Amino acid sequence: MALRAAVLRHIRLPVQTLTAAGSRPQPQWSFLRLFSSHDDHLTKEEVIDRVLDVVKSFPKVDPSKVAPDVHFQKDLGLDSLDNVEIVMALEEEFKLEIPDKEADKIDSCNLAIEYIYNHPMAG
Amino acid sequence: MSGATAAAYLARRAAQKERVRILYRRALKDTLNWAVHRHLFYQDASDLREKFEANKHVEDLDTIDKMIAAGEATYNKWRHPDPYIVPWAPGGSKFTRNPVPPSGIEIVYDYGREEND
Repeated sequence: MALRAAVLRHIRLPVQTLTAAGSRPQPQWSFLRLFSSHDDHLTKEEVIDRVLDVVKSFPKVDPSKVAPDVHFQKDLGLDSLDNVEIVMALEEEFKLEIPDKEADKIDSCNLAIEYIYNHPMAG
Repeated sequence: MSGATAAAYLARRAAQKERVRILYRRALKDTLNWAVHRHLFYQDASDLREKFEANKHVEDLDTIDKMIAAGEATYNKWRHPDPYIVPWAPGGSKFTRNPVPPSGIEIVYDYGREEND
């Protein structure tokens, strides 16, 4: 899992921010659209925010307990089937298609954030 | 001896739990394929969850195996013929639409210039 993450990190294109005048707008300005498909990868804070929002809006979860390093079954007291449901909700949020074996291993917010951040097609 | 059988028992239970999780995941995706409208999907998803929860406390390994096989047969019977797959994933519409050209190929842009110019 970590090897796969490291390999994916190498395959991803590096983000180049131009600092000269007339450069492209920063990725944080989400109301400005970037028409190139090469430098619009998600920032880590965006990923963390969206993942935490998805987990907080899950009906069986207490929103005040949710943190970026929380384990779904141990800290939040969820079932393994609830884990499956959360992973499906994350797939829908980021428009990803996670293979079954990988989805089975996503057990905590940490893993989810790492997987989504390293996925090249996370939307 | 009892340690080995306990480990084998736990390994079998863990394998069964994984099969159940993957089956639940596929069944949930299938439910989303069939019931596109969200309110219908929520009802069908809770029905599916009830079915799984009803058999949660079974302890006998063979019964569990039979139930998992029956569940997988039901899933195969109810599979959607045209499921929604994310476009860039295998089976989606954008999959291998623009493959990376093989390495070592170089396009020389000479715009028709003759060699003796």
